Amino acid sequence: MKFALFVGCKIPSRLPAYEISTRAVLGRLGVSLVDLDFTCCGYPARNISRDAFVLAAARNLALAERAGLDVLTPCKCCFGNLRHAIRFLGEDEALRSRVEKALATEGLAWSGHTEVHHLLPLLARKVGIDKVTASVRLPQTGMRVAAQYGCHALRPSNVTRFDNPMAPTIFEKLIRATGAVAINWPRRLDCCGDPLHEANGPLSERITLAKLADARQSGATTICTACPHCHLRMDAVLAGSTSASAETGTEIKTLLYPQLLGLAMGLAPEALGM
Amino acid sequence: MTPALFRIALYGSLAICLLGLLWRVSTWFHLRVGPDACNVTVFQRLITAVRGAVSVTFSRGLVHVLRAFFVDVVFQNRLFAREKLRWLGHQLILTGFTGLVLVHALASVLAGKLSPGYQPTLDPYMFLRNLAGVMVFVGIAMVFAGRRRQQTGFPQSRRPIDAIFVALLGTILVSGFLLEAHKIASPRAFYRMTDQFIGTTDPEELKPLRALWASEFGVAFDDMGDGIEPAVIAEGRELHGDACASCHAKPTSAFISYTAAKVLAPLSGALDEARADTWLLYLHLFACFIGLALLPFSRFFHAVADPVSLLVNGAAREREFSSAGRASRRALALDACVHCGLCDSSCSVGPLARHLGNPALLPSHKIVATGAHARRRLLSHGIGPDALLVSEGAFQCTDCGRCTTRCPVGLDLADLWEAGRGDLAIAGLPAPSQWVQARSAFAWAESLDSRSTPDAPSAPLASDRRTFSHCVQCQTCTNVCPVVAHSIDTEHGVDLTPQKVMNLLRLGMLDLTLGSRMVWDCATCYQCQENCPEGVRVTDVMCELRGLAYHRLGSVRNPGGPS
Ligand code: SF4
Ligand code: SF4
Ligand code: SF4
Ligand code: SF4
Repeated sequence: MKFALFVGCKIPSRLPAYEISTRAVLGRLGVSLVDLDFTCCGYPARNISRDAFVLAAARNLALAERAGLDVLTPCKCCFGNLRHAIRFLGEDEALRSRVEKALATEGLAWSGHTEVHHLLPLLARKVGIDKVTASVRLPQTGMRVAAQYGCHALRPSNVTRFDNPMAPTIFEKLIRATGAVAINWPRRLDCCGDPLHEANGPLSERITLAKLADARQSGATTICTACPHCHLRMDAVLAGSTSASAETGTEIKTLLYPQLLGLAMGLAPEALGM
Repeated sequence: MTPALFRIALYGSLAICLLGLLWRVSTWFHLRVGPDACNVTVFQRLITAVRGAVSVTFSRGLVHVLRAFFVDVVFQNRLFAREKLRWLGHQLILTGFTGLVLVHALASVLAGKLSPGYQPTLDPYMFLRNLAGVMVFVGIAMVFAGRRRQQTGFPQSRRPIDAIFVALLGTILVSGFLLEAHKIASPRAFYRMTDQFIGTTDPEELKPLRALWASEFGVAFDDMGDGIEPAVIAEGRELHGDACASCHAKPTSAFISYTAAKVLAPLSGALDEARADTWLLYLHLFACFIGLALLPFSRFFHAVADPVSLLVNGAAREREFSSAGRASRRALALDACVHCGLCDSSCSVGPLARHLGNPALLPSHKIVATGAHARRRLLSHGIGPDALLVSEGAFQCTDCGRCTTRCPVGLDLADLWEAGRGDLAIAGLPAPSQWVQARSAFAWAESLDSRSTPDAPSAPLASDRRTFSHCVQCQTCTNVCPVVAHSIDTEHGVDLTPQKVMNLLRLGMLDLTLGSRMVWDCATCYQCQENCPEGVRVTDVMCELRGLAYHRLGSVRNPGGPS
């Protein structure tokens, strides 16, 4: 299995451990990764122009197509946005021809053959839960883990095709594969608050705090993430970088899924960017 | 040139250069970039810099500074790691230029002291001068070629003074070579020397010497005729040995000028008539003097700012900067940027910049804009179109950090961008969500009424009634919306609910939605869209509304000002 790794903008600059741990566990599972000259997925441009965001996404899809590879991204926002772009290109002929014209100026073309995968479904379905389970040497028993699903991977389900949007199970299965306990928590499918951060800081913080409090009350010791936006947002609120974080206590921590899996595989924490 | 005129020009341009250098360096301590820079005084910044320099000098940090000096400043490791061709070009320019200054410009002073027999027409000086000149030429060509290969779709960020400076550099090199070439070929120069050192200018008497110099030294006499006998040349060689050899090596080692002299030979009589030696010398010297005076004001001031920046980086490895230190470092970065454009070609939003037709998204252009804002030039006539483009550029940056990683000067661009955004927000040019929400949805709708709006970007969902005509106003979208659920106070809460936004659209009141807090505070969580029993694409519509608002409200953002 070979994919073009799309790390996006946030991971290299703010959460390099996510890339490191993703590469480490995928390497163990026999998934090889190729680096292409990708640029922004277009998600931030969605606020200013539909054309701009679709074009930015399409450029990356075209790069992957030229290399004959499907895209794998650990970021749920990049994932959702690239999939949205595919949808918009599919349903809007005029948009598609504008985008094709713009791509042609760079000598690129996209015929619609690139698939976009997120890390979690890739592990659960392409690699397979069984193979993931078999790779575990040090089961992380005793760890009580809350799965943070993340909006942009889960919804809208007809675009993302991530899992059942009302009752997903994929993340819990992957957590259980590491030997940890996947707890149930009412707010597991809620927004982490990150996209609201710039527009409305206080409201964003309330949303994040509600999630953190819920995870704690539900008995989680760890919130497991698979998106840099969710992860960094929760870390920032937990670290008290914003005012009211004391409410949640500090006993809960965040962990990236490939770090959890990597620990269970017996990889050294340093190899996972920890 | 009379010695007095020469001296006045030299000392004048030196003085301007020194004052310019002082002024530029002083900006490192008084230009303010970033909101936090306003909290520290110039004095604090100076003290911090001095204290930092002293404490590093007497600590282990000195090792890092020395390392930075050899690895980053002298060897230019960062550029080497990124662009080998441009590294080579840059090193050639640097070595060649230093060589020219040492063995040529300062030669009469330096080489005269080091070796008493210095003559510009002896080797190795003749050879070295040509070699250094060629190095600079080739280096410039390589750097330009390296730049060519970077395609960002926009011209490089550059100021007119920089083009002038490059033109001066070219003038200095070309006039230097031409002058040397002309002197080699010039009969007049030959006779001036024989007059001075042999005491005659009689062509007949000098025939043997002329024969030798015509055949071996490239002088283009027009009255020599062909078929000079070897015996005559041999006689000339003897005379040459007595009178000339101690000061004149064969000019073939001046390989460029000698070749040029061969080309110029047919013209040398005419050039002599026109006193080419004089005006070429004037051209050469004045180009040098003007270049010297302009240096601090051009981007080639980076020759000073870069090493400082790299050494500061070396020293900073183990310490956090205070806000005074950060403030100075940002101002220094404005000068240290060499406008190489390496950051632009790797910028994550480069394709977006091309699509929007806005170069202000690209990092090297952002540096220029940040400098202009710090020098109060960006908003000197209020918020104009340029300022709006700059703001768009600043806030579309995704903070991916690639520019910082790639910059061959090692500038902390991430910090600069954050500081720049802070400054823009204070100056009334904040992020879109901020300037839109500064007014109510009603106020925006009213100002839209009174103004025609430019072509809006495509919004096929929001402008198609079928998107929301089947909305039954069941409020499911509102009930699942986390933003509505957490809107518990009026100050930070939303003004509408998703269901109401859909209803306004159903009623054809799109303008009222554009400035709505609900639209701009939507977290794009897609709960509404996923749960809507009628399959209304609520979130997709919200996103389109923002795009529409960005353009249409943007056009009425500055009543009075251009859109
Ligand atoms: S941090 Fe911003 S300016 Fe720099 S490369 Fe990324 S998007 Fe471009
Ligand atoms: S910021 Fe750095 S990489 Fe960008 S143009 Fe300036 S020197 Fe070059
Ligand atoms: S958009 Fe859908 S969920 Fe919202 S009110 Fe209309 S029908 Fe109900
Ligand atoms: S997508 Fe926006 S409007 Fe819809 S539920 Fe989420 S926050 Fe509310």
